Amino acid sequence: MSGVRETADIIIVGAGVMGCGAAYYLAQRGVKVLVLESEMIGHGASSRSGGGVRQSARDVRELPIAIYSVQHLWPTLSEELGVDVEYIQDGNLRLGKTEEHQKILQARTDSCVAAGLDVRMVDAYEIHQLCPCLAPDVVTASLCPTDGHANPLLTTLGYYKAARRLGAHFITGERAVRLERIKGRVRRVVTAAGNVYEADQIMVTAGYWTRQLLNTVGIDIPMFKRIDQSIVTEPMPHMFRQMLGTAEGHFHGRQSVHGSFTFGDHTGLEIQHKNKQDRPAATSLLAGVACRDVVEYIPVLANAKVIRVWAGWLDMTPDELPVLDVVDELPGLIVGCGFSGHGFGLAPGAAKILSQLALGEETCVDVSSLNYNRFDGRC
Amino acid sequence: MSQILDRNMDIGPFVPQPDDDLIICRCEEITKGEIRQAIHDGMFTMNEIKRYLRAGMGLCQGKTCGRQVKGILARELGMSPAQIDDCTPRSPNRPAEMRVLGNEVDKV
Amino acid sequence: MKMKRYELAVIGAGPAGLCAAIEAANAGMQVVVFDENAKPGGQLFKQIHKFFGSKEHGAKIRGFRIGQQLLAQAKEAGVEVMLDSVVMGIFDCNELTVMHNDATHHYKADNIVIATGAMENAIPFDGWTLPGVIGAGAAQTLMNLHGVQPGSRVLMLGSGNVGLVVSFQLLQAGVQVAAVVDAAPRVGGYGVHAAKLARTGVPFYLSHTVVKAEGEDHVTAAVIAQVNEKFEPIPGTEKRFEVDTICLAVGLSPMSQLAAMAGCEMAEKGGRAPVVDQYGQTSVPGIFAAGDVAGIEEASSAMITGRITGASAAHRSGYLDDEAFAARTQELRASLGQLHEGMFSPANKGRNDLTVTDEGIMLSQSLLHKGYMEDGEIERFPGAGAVHTVGIHPVIECSQNIPCNPCQDACRFGCIQVGDHITNLPSVNQAAKCVGCGVCVANCSGQAIFLVDESIGDGAASVTLPYEFWPLPAVGDQGTALNRAGKPVCKAEVVNVRQAAAMDGTALLTMKVPKEYAMTARFFKKEEA
Repeated sequence: MSGVRETADIIIVGAGVMGCGAAYYLAQRGVKVLVLESEMIGHGASSRSGGGVRQSARDVRELPIAIYSVQHLWPTLSEELGVDVEYIQDGNLRLGKTEEHQKILQARTDSCVAAGLDVRMVDAYEIHQLCPCLAPDVVTASLCPTDGHANPLLTTLGYYKAARRLGAHFITGERAVRLERIKGRVRRVVTAAGNVYEADQIMVTAGYWTRQLLNTVGIDIPMFKRIDQSIVTEPMPHMFRQMLGTAEGHFHGRQSVHGSFTFGDHTGLEIQHKNKQDRPAATSLLAGVACRDVVEYIPVLANAKVIRVWAGWLDMTPDELPVLDVVDELPGLIVGCGFSGHGFGLAPGAAKILSQLALGEETCVDVSSLNYNRFDGRC
Repeated sequence: MSQILDRNMDIGPFVPQPDDDLIICRCEEITKGEIRQAIHDGMFTMNEIKRYLRAGMGLCQGKTCGRQVKGILARELGMSPAQIDDCTPRSPNRPAEMRVLGNEVDKV
Repeated sequence: MKMKRYELAVIGAGPAGLCAAIEAANAGMQVVVFDENAKPGGQLFKQIHKFFGSKEHGAKIRGFRIGQQLLAQAKEAGVEVMLDSVVMGIFDCNELTVMHNDATHHYKADNIVIATGAMENAIPFDGWTLPGVIGAGAAQTLMNLHGVQPGSRVLMLGSGNVGLVVSFQLLQAGVQVAAVVDAAPRVGGYGVHAAKLARTGVPFYLSHTVVKAEGEDHVTAAVIAQVNEKFEPIPGTEKRFEVDTICLAVGLSPMSQLAAMAGCEMAEKGGRAPVVDQYGQTSVPGIFAAGDVAGIEEASSAMITGRITGASAAHRSGYLDDEAFAARTQELRASLGQLHEGMFSPANKGRNDLTVTDEGIMLSQSLLHKGYMEDGEIERFPGAGAVHTVGIHPVIECSQNIPCNPCQDACRFGCIQVGDHITNLPSVNQAAKCVGCGVCVANCSGQAIFLVDESIGDGAASVTLPYEFWPLPAVGDQGTALNRAGKPVCKAEVVNVRQAAAMDGTALLTMKVPKEYAMTARFFKKEEA
């Protein structure tokens, strides 16, 4: 076809962990995949994630994806991709210091148990047995032993590497600006460079920017972008294998296989952030806030050197749940977006589901409640 | 905006070189061979090489090896180093202890 | 958070940063300078050699003295200099976070001048991580700031000005320099810097590189090899030097991370550097960049670009009106333009194809390939205009168009002419009478001027040379005269040693040699006791 640079069975817009993962699962099935990425592989939220692989404290509508991922995909992912994604399944520990914290944790634990998860409260003695480095005034915690963490950078690049090896074609620096509908089907992607790509199906996994792109074919998924900020330290002696969090959500973090600690935190001013940059940077307040919060719980880290502070955009939906759906009013269009800051743990399952949606197969778990048109002004 | 990079571009096969065991990133002890192999695995940008191998992810944040990694990447891709973007620099510009970053002083 | 606000915050108290601060403070601005080091001055206090340029550039003044002058000017202008203060980040609305005294401080600034300088490049080779492989700048810090010899015997990789100047300073510090090695086919730095090394006997290996540092827990030897046009080592050409230190002087990269963090548009300038206009303004309003961070040059131009950004900040904040600003920047840009002329200009960087001087005189290929001019070569240059005349006369062994003219100012009798362009080759006017005062010898930052007198009788000649090694030889000392290649040519006796405050540490050593060696003997080596 004239003017079309390249054709494929499916074009995936956005090479984050979802796009790379879907490309992998589709390429594995012999589908000719073309992935268009505006920046580089995993340059959005996937390279800025905290790395939690968590089932606990999830909404029941997305919980099955997390459980499926943890039971069927995460344990063998490194072997499958040929890249060590540093998956460690040794529990998620949410820490508390006060009675108020204990109440919060107990309520969460109760709802997790009600959802069928193995989550329990841990007393002071057991907490300090598990983590001798914690401050003495950490006296309560909840533990989900089957939760864990992984390296989001390696997971994303691992999916990319494996998909590429299976024949998926990736073009980076190619910013999709418009989708086009041809004879009823969404078939074309036009990029900022003026290139046109065509396929039988278009899958958009472009984080917050999914909204703008879908707007070009008259679909609006309500999302806003919110800044999320993290710090990382130099490598330290091994202290923790658990994913760590706090009752009030002050910070969350993990110690990587390599020894560095990664912590995400909030200054409380995230909602008011000016949202002006495409490439977000941490604000001047984050490092101080995060360091104080962390040292209150893990005093031994006071002398750990922070080597980097960064930020990313979360693609927040009104119900803080993702959209995983086939856009039935526009044949050929599939959407995976709106993970609202907790998509990484879901990624293997969500990517597999996206591939199944594209193949027209039954999905491994039911995602009918994560439909694109569920936002009716009441959620 | 990033330049367009076709990840299927032909960069030839990975051919072992005699100095592949040379350490390039001293902080994380990453060798030239590992970096070249990563490029042949599809890591075509400085940030991707860093995220994949940790080259430039250590205490010095690539201040020593960045130029070398860029040179290796340029040679493998057949590009000029001038065409390749650096890794994204971030605060803090020097490593700093948590107790120092957490100790914020009102200077007025 | 309450934050102290300055009208101008300068990052880096090196030559560029201090000059920016002085310029702005003199215009009336409230200025702070942050520097991560315990001492201000950046690289200036390591520079014990005399600077090039003309009078207004600080020519013939040693770098550390320029540093002292700038600190005094900054103090007088009311600049606040905060040391041990690391700028950790530049954030939205020109906010800086600064680490100082184990605490983090936040500041705001109406204007920011980024003058963070450069960092040394490294190159990897077998054994490059061994202790004993260090940057040339690091060697300079050890010697000139801390009084510590970096090693006892050094191999220098890199023949740019840094490699040449540091090699000479190593010799001055009593460290042996086994060789100067460079993969390029030509000496990268000023010929005069190479020549003053070569005549002491330091060999040059161009088109060579280090292939290996030997040693178990520290460097014990360096192996070099010749390289082909693709800079690949040629097997079978290896040479081994027993050294305990390998100095890397393989270039500098702008330390531009803060500029990138601040969102400044960056470009390739031998490493990423912020794009600046002729006023030092980056793409972010109110953020300026000066000195090496905006593109590697040297301290003299850093001082001028610093001044320009200081004036720009003052203009932006209303302390200089349009007219005053235009006049000041025009003056500064003219001064910068003088430094940007000649064969070492930024426009000629990396060129290997120049064969003649601006005057049309064939360059010395020997100087470019071996670090010294062959016998008889200097005679074609105008600095040798008085050779073989009766009586004492200067021989100026300056054969490249470098921006420098203190020799012209040195001579009260009009013996030496450089002319309007400070990159012109100096010429010696045969008609003017040389009195042998030697001021030109001491003034020449390149140590390239000699006084020769072939008419002292007894078939002898006197050669007066600049001498900066201690202890100084004494009158009556016997020894050997070395030629430009550092090879012994004849016996020599010291007949005069002169020192003066105005010569600032450059002694004038006069040796007596047989007349036939008047134009070849260029260094004195004392007989070993």
